[in-house]
Amino acid sequence: MFSRWNWVACGFCLVLNICSPDASGGLVQSCGHIIPESPVLALGSNFTALCILNESCLDFGNIYASQIIWKIKNRVVPKEQYREINRTVSSVTFNDTSSLATPLTCNILADGQIEQNIYGITVAVGLAPEKPKNLSCIVHQKSQFTYDMTCTWNPGRHTFLDTEFRLRYSWPEEVFPDCIPKGVNDSCTITDIQFFVNTEIWVEAANALGKAESDPLVVDPIDIVKPLSPQNVSVSSGILPTVLKLSWENWISDAVMTLKFNIRYKITGDTSWMEVPAEDTASPRTSFSVQGLRPYTEYAFSIRCMKEDGVGYWSNWSETKTGITTEDQPSKGPPIWRIIDASCSPASWTVHLMWKALKPFEANGVILQYEVTVRDKSSLSSPLKKYNVTSTNHTLQLPEGTYEVTLIARNSVGASPPSILLIPASNSKAPVKNLTALPKHDKLWVGWTAPNNYVLKYVVEWCLVSSSSDCIIDWQIALGNVQGIDLKGIKPFKCYLITVYPLYADGQGSGQSVKAYLKQDRPSKGPTVQTKKVGKAEAVLTWNHLTVEEQNGFIRNYTILYKTIDGNETVVTVDPSKTEYTLSSLTSDTLYTVRMMASTDNGSRTGPDFTFTTQKFGKGEIEAIVVPVCLAFLLIVLLGVLFCFNKRDLIKKHIWPIVPDPSKSNIAQWSPQVPAKHNFNSKDQMYPEGSFTDVSVVEIEADDKKSFSEQDLKPFDLLKKEKSTSEGHSSGIGGSSCMSSPRQSVSDSDEGETTQNTSSTVQYSTVVLNGYRDQTPVQVFSRSESTQPLLDSEERSEDHAGGADTTAQRQQYFRQNGGQDENNTDRQCFERAKQVTHANEGDLVGFVQLQVSGESSQPLGLGMEKNTQEAALSNVLQRCTEGQAVRPETVEENPLSVDDMPKSYLPQTVRQGGYMPQ
Amino acid sequence: VDTPHQRQRGPRGPPPPPRPGPHRDSGLSLHTGVVPFVALLLLQRRPVAGRPLLVTGSGCPSHGLCRSNVQEQTRRQVAVLNATAQELFSLYLKCQGEPFSSEADKLCNPAGIFFPTFRVNRTSERKEVMVAMYKLFAFLNASLGNITRDQEELNPMAKDLLERLHNTTKTTRGLISNLTCLLRKNYNIFQVDVRYGDSSKGKSAFKKKQQGCQVLRKYVQVIGQAARVLLPHLGPS
Repeated sequence: MFSRWNWVACGFCLVLNICSPDASGGLVQSCGHIIPESPVLALGSNFTALCILNESCLDFGNIYASQIIWKIKNRVVPKEQYREINRTVSSVTFNDTSSLATPLTCNILADGQIEQNIYGITVAVGLAPEKPKNLSCIVHQKSQFTYDMTCTWNPGRHTFLDTEFRLRYSWPEEVFPDCIPKGVNDSCTITDIQFFVNTEIWVEAANALGKAESDPLVVDPIDIVKPLSPQNVSVSSGILPTVLKLSWENWISDAVMTLKFNIRYKITGDTSWMEVPAEDTASPRTSFSVQGLRPYTEYAFSIRCMKEDGVGYWSNWSETKTGITTEDQPSKGPPIWRIIDASCSPASWTVHLMWKALKPFEANGVILQYEVTVRDKSSLSSPLKKYNVTSTNHTLQLPEGTYEVTLIARNSVGASPPSILLIPASNSKAPVKNLTALPKHDKLWVGWTAPNNYVLKYVVEWCLVSSSSDCIIDWQIALGNVQGIDLKGIKPFKCYLITVYPLYADGQGSGQSVKAYLKQDRPSKGPTVQTKKVGKAEAVLTWNHLTVEEQNGFIRNYTILYKTIDGNETVVTVDPSKTEYTLSSLTSDTLYTVRMMASTDNGSRTGPDFTFTTQKFGKGEIEAIVVPVCLAFLLIVLLGVLFCFNKRDLIKKHIWPIVPDPSKSNIAQWSPQVPAKHNFNSKDQMYPEGSFTDVSVVEIEADDKKSFSEQDLKPFDLLKKEKSTSEGHSSGIGGSSCMSSPRQSVSDSDEGETTQNTSSTVQYSTVVLNGYRDQTPVQVFSRSESTQPLLDSEERSEDHAGGADTTAQRQQYFRQNGGQDENNTDRQCFERAKQVTHANEGDLVGFVQLQVSGESSQPLGLGMEKNTQEAALSNVLQRCTEGQAVRPETVEENPLSVDDMPKSYLPQTVRQGGYMPQ
Repeated sequence: VDTPHQRQRGPRGPPPPPRPGPHRDSGLSLHTGVVPFVALLLLQRRPVAGRPLLVTGSGCPSHGLCRSNVQEQTRRQVAVLNATAQELFSLYLKCQGEPFSSEADKLCNPAGIFFPTFRVNRTSERKEVMVAMYKLFAFLNASLGNITRDQEELNPMAKDLLERLHNTTKTTRGLISNLTCLLRKNYNIFQVDVRYGDSSKGKSAFKKKQQGCQVLRKYVQVIGQAARVLLPHLGPS
């Protein structure tokens, strides 16, 4: 019972202990602790920790050292590293602390295999500090009396621990407060220093694992001073034009430290400094006169100092001060050259004298004026002409001749030596040879081979070639013993025209010229190409030369690149002098894209694309096709015409077969009612045969094997009448009058049936003579009631008779009338007759049926009245037939009254191949 | 000034740095009322037990800093003080305003103040000169410390003056260190009794200014003499 309560109490106590592992000093006492507490371990060393259980826990918790489990973080330490020293102490050993991590905890496996934490410690692993090395110090002067000393050192390896560095220094009997770096571990600055006392300086590094000191540095701070540079530096010019005096103030008194100096100087604008020899300034001083300077030249000076014995550091260079030396007389005459303009008159020159301003080191002051003296060498008696000029050019009007020009520059101190230029009457001397211009070291070098004669000097002229402005000449003089110079002021990518003149003692050589670039680039734009002419297989391309500003170099060639839309690009290289090129072997009717590239030595630039389409046909190709075709057509037409002309009778026979004159037919003779021919004779004579053109012919195919009687035809007539009725009023071929009252007539609009009907029912022909236009028809044929076939002889005779009758009366023919608006009763139309299909040409048989208006009760007068209206009718008829492929024809209505015509007709046997007269 | 302490230190070591403040005021003289102090020269005495003197006779046991260049360093220090003393005095007068600017001769007459006697000349023994120098600069070091303290109170804006006072004080401090080295190294003198001047603590501003003026004027006179005396003894050989 007690034991049970004991366990409960112990468990409660244990829980409290566990829940408050760090409350050893608090309300609840821990069940154990670890020794050592929060150790700092050297990296790589071995380490042993002890976990000591409290006796009280043994009593209540029944826990022992054998139950202890060591953990690093949450990882259990292998039990091989445990050692149970006694029942309350367990140790763990690590042979290498690099495997350690924090926290290291002591845990116990209580009843129920519940792992409980007893205690934990933090473990720091690191390295002892290394001995600081390379300690060095420098004393910076801050002001006249203020110095501080900065010491730097190498702190050594990283220790992984908090390591404190201290800079320590002392005098023989006095140690000063340490200098503790802030934020760094390799330098510290001491502000309280004293010169002329040997000071021992060292660095001390310390952390939890140890302490290390650097080697001591014993130094008198005065020996490591970097002084301030001299102040208030001033430059003053002396009496001599080549001397400037430099003065300054030192920050350090000589009592403290004597100084030596460095003085450097340069011409203002130069980049490189010159130095006064060190031995000249090795002693303490506050001024120095710099000699050997150029007159009237601005110099910049700077100075620095250090301890006189050279122990210590140089100060920084002082700020730059400038001074100008005084003037001296010009050291040389200005270079002079001329341009002679003889364009106005060869005998009179306009001489442009020009000279270059002296360089500052030559002018030695401000040039106040130039004195130009011109002497005519061809006339000893001519006086000298003097001109005072303030500019650097002067223009003279001189007659052609030889002159000597002398130029002197003058400043406030004196005059320069004279420059002499000889202007000969002609440049007849030998020129230079092998003139070349090459870029060398970023300069344009012009070289030449000297002539055989002695040359005093050369004049090199050059100008920037421009397409928009004149060539402005610049020039330079070279000595006679040189054969090449570098041109000054040359810009890259610009074209220069360079001319070299040799100057002799007694004259001048002619100039030799060359174009050159200092540096070339690819053209700034490409040529714009376009077509001048495009053919079937070729295209003529044109372009303009690039301007000199656009070229940026010598154009070595043009390259034409052209291609079709889906084809490969073709490249053609063209000489740079050309502005036109013909592309050949192109594909016809094809779109081409062409562009052009201009190339210099340094690259190319392509112009814009241009497209063109080659033509489908070549030049003359169309003409070559069309002309022969036309000629052939014309020839064929001509031959056709000739053929038709030769065969006109035959053609006429087929197209306009001769219709026998019914009047001369035998039928006419036996016909009881013969038309009164005389009524028409007068009219016939009004129409010559040639004008009789409008003839309607109705050919009706007849079955030559059958002969139908009128009675036989009646049923068909009725049928036809019925059909005509259904189709409207129709006027039959021949004698029906459209103006007559509507009457039914046979229509052949129904082709198949009609053909059959026609062939089976029409055995008659009716010839109706129409008057031409408003003229009275010549002849009217009435329906023949004869069934007697026409005889060939008759037919032929009628042909002849017709031909013979042309003078007597105009023979009119019927023509076949195609199906037309037969229903149109408002118009004068003829009843269309059936067209008979001919078996052959010889079998042509035409029946012309004159449909008699059965109810024609029109009086003759009416018919005559209607005749008076022929013109109108003709017109109407013409309109009526316009839609047909036949010539308009005038069909005259039968002027005879139906009453005058035979009332009935006998069926007439139609012989094949002829027309039946009525 | 912790005068007894200074007395004990003597040549065994330089006096504490003359840091700002009255720590080096002549407290002893005030306490004792005895003027002058007696300088005790304790010869052949080791300053630190267990630290043997070098066989070579070097008296500078600390890190071997008492090197041969100390003589030259000492001379240069005296020269620096000599070179700057007059400027310091003039600046001091200027900064004190009237009547010191116009009546310096009267107000700054050092006749009434204590100043170490410097009765050595170029023919005096070097050891005697060194001891006199030590006494002089120990006194000056303390006095300059007091003057600096007073001026920081009276003329806090006189940066230039204060800076010069600081530098002069520092120089005397280094000079004492070097003299200690020389006394020990060359003459095995380890203790010198030094008398310091009256403390200005508690005096009026005028009195403080006057006392400083008197000391500096005497200092200008004596430092020149010291520089001249010291040259043949410590000049470059």
